[in-house]
Amino acid sequence: MDNGTSNSASENETITLKSCDGIEFHIDARIANRYTLLNNWNGGESACIPNVNGKVLEKVLEWCEHHINDPQLNCGDDDSRRRNTIIEEWDENFLSCDQDMLFEIILAANYLEIKPLLDLGCKTVANMMKSKSPEEIRSAFNIDNDYTPEEEEQFRKENEWAEDY
Amino acid sequence: MKPLPNECYYIIFKNLRHNYKNLFSCALVNRQWCRIVISILWSKPGHHFKNKKLIKILLLSLNEEEQVQLIPFKITLPNCRKPLFKYANYITSVNDDLSEGVRNWIRYKKGYELEYAIERCLILLFLRICKLKHLSLNGPICDRLILKNLYENTTITSLDIHNNDGGSFKSKATYGLLKILNKKTTLTSLNLRSIQFGSNKLGVEGVKALAFSLYENTTLTSLNIQSNDTNFDLKFYIQSIEILQ
Repeated sequence: MDNGTSNSASENETITLKSCDGIEFHIDARIANRYTLLNNWNGGESACIPNVNGKVLEKVLEWCEHHINDPQLNCGDDDSRRRNTIIEEWDENFLSCDQDMLFEIILAANYLEIKPLLDLGCKTVANMMKSKSPEEIRSAFNIDNDYTPEEEEQFRKENEWAEDY
Repeated sequence: MKPLPNECYYIIFKNLRHNYKNLFSCALVNRQWCRIVISILWSKPGHHFKNKKLIKILLLSLNEEEQVQLIPFKITLPNCRKPLFKYANYITSVNDDLSEGVRNWIRYKKGYELEYAIERCLILLFLRICKLKHLSLNGPICDRLILKNLYENTTITSLDIHNNDGGSFKSKATYGLLKILNKKTTLTSLNLRSIQFGSNKLGVEGVKALAFSLYENTTLTSLNIQSNDTNFDLKFYIQSIEILQ
């Protein structure tokens, strides 16, 4: 059956990925093909992934492996995929890690151009912001307020329409 | 915690785009977030166009030329300090709630003329500075200048002309519309609601010309025409287009 993953790599073929801190992972070559993990992979038996450490790469690969048989989405489907705010249970469990790891996964997905994982991570962060006040968001994400009081006041006034229903 | 690049924050906030209150909170977190959120918050104000607070901020963006047109009406335009952002620049979609917003801002006081004048100035502002994709226009305010700017516009893909207030889309304006349809346009969707062709002596020839322009047009993928005018059998022309196509 053509599930959108058909490519030159056969099921038993493996390649070796090396994280930036030198940890090696032996993965199904279909994963590398499916998620264009390796822009600089020349089709050989191993490849290096700079910028992503072993701990994060392990998580990313775990996600890719689970989603290896997902149907390929066209670029045009981007919006419809984002519009769907429901997150599958497996993905929800997968991303219920600590916040540092969640942000690392987003960064890695962005770097490796794994769009579905990037969207999923971003959706998870967005859900964490829902129904929170600015102060609550700042403390949840450990962010400093760099507005001057005057600026903040002016911004509130200019955008207060958004607070009304 | 590692900071994320702006493009990631953009995707995060885009998930909240239907929740204006939430976006507002995110924008107040810090300056970096604010700059990203603003472009999403103001992109499609939707039903918030009804809100006079939003209209007030938009009126601050009128240039001198636009403001001068409101002098005869002796109204006091908002005169606050310069806004933090050029908010209007971010608008990509204008719906017909704008008319109600303008009415709310003038507190239903001074009748249609003032209301149309303000609405017209705001549309001119949008056509001047926004990268509009969708524009909903109140038929009666469509004059030569608006049609000229519409003709020159290269971003709008969806145009909706309505006459909710019982006002009329002038026959001259219809010919302006024909010019827009006849040029190589970006329009893919056209919605003409409650157009009163007959009462403005557009005549059979005008309706035919419209039908012919629509027939010749190759860019539209969606077309909706409603007329509450029984003098002309528009349906006949529309059907003839469908048969021809």
